[in-house]
Amino acid sequence: MPNQPSPLDQVFQSLADPTRRAVLQRLSQGPAAVSELARPFKMALPSFSQHLDVLENSGLVKSRKLGRVRTYTIAPRPLKTAESWLEKQRGQWESRLNQLDNYLMELKENETDD
Amino acid sequence: MTSFTTYRPDPDLDLLLERVVDVPRGLVWRAWTTPEHIKKWFTPAPWKTAACEIDLRPGGIFSTVMQSPEGQSFPNVGCYLDIVENERLIWTNALMPGYRPRQSPEARSDNAFAFTAVISLEPQGGSTKYTALVMHADTATRKKHEDLGFHNGWSTALDQLVAVAKTM
Repeated sequence: MPNQPSPLDQVFQSLADPTRRAVLQRLSQGPAAVSELARPFKMALPSFSQHLDVLENSGLVKSRKLGRVRTYTIAPRPLKTAESWLEKQRGQWESRLNQLDNYLMELKENETDD
Repeated sequence: MTSFTTYRPDPDLDLLLERVVDVPRGLVWRAWTTPEHIKKWFTPAPWKTAACEIDLRPGGIFSTVMQSPEGQSFPNVGCYLDIVENERLIWTNALMPGYRPRQSPEARSDNAFAFTAVISLEPQGGSTKYTALVMHADTATRKKHEDLGFHNGWSTALDQLVAVAKTM
């Protein structure tokens, strides 16, 4: 898993803006296209897109482009904990096998000594 | 009889680890199948293996007792499913010795999740390549999230997060 630099900072920076919070609240109801998300705001589209970029970089939302329409969804962050559970299992098996390999080398040396 | 090819790793649920060690295969096999050896390496430090019992035949017991640095003991019991000397060792903690299914989570004192481990060994020159495939039925937390109703949980968490951010 790639480690993003200080993801929590990015999340809070992302949330520190009323436009972005409103977008998140809208997306918590379900996915939406850019045009629909932009509608409630009196803002030029490029400026609005920048807000969407900040949200996406922080990992709070994801986007997919289908034809000419880009659709945003809330990123399923809680699923990350499932990945980290498996990563934790991996870590334990890695250290188990590291210990085995070290132990095997010890055994081999001792057998050669005999 | 057909050859044994029923296991296939699922990247979302399983771990596949591969190692090459510069020791003969027989030594690697003994390290996996002898209590005295298992006690020396099986439990990741600083935890220890306080006890180990092995009855090396299908349905036979494989148990270890892991001990925390504070001295608390956690028993792990399972049984072997397949044993081919120097080639393959399969055990699970989903079945108890004698193939009896283990108790449901509510009835057990531990909350260990079920897994099946497949250890395969093959010679590589004078060295040994071994792989450990660890299969899980589910990831613990993923299941929990589904039980809680994932989408609902996320919306609530987000609402709370937004509420906190507004007061900052």
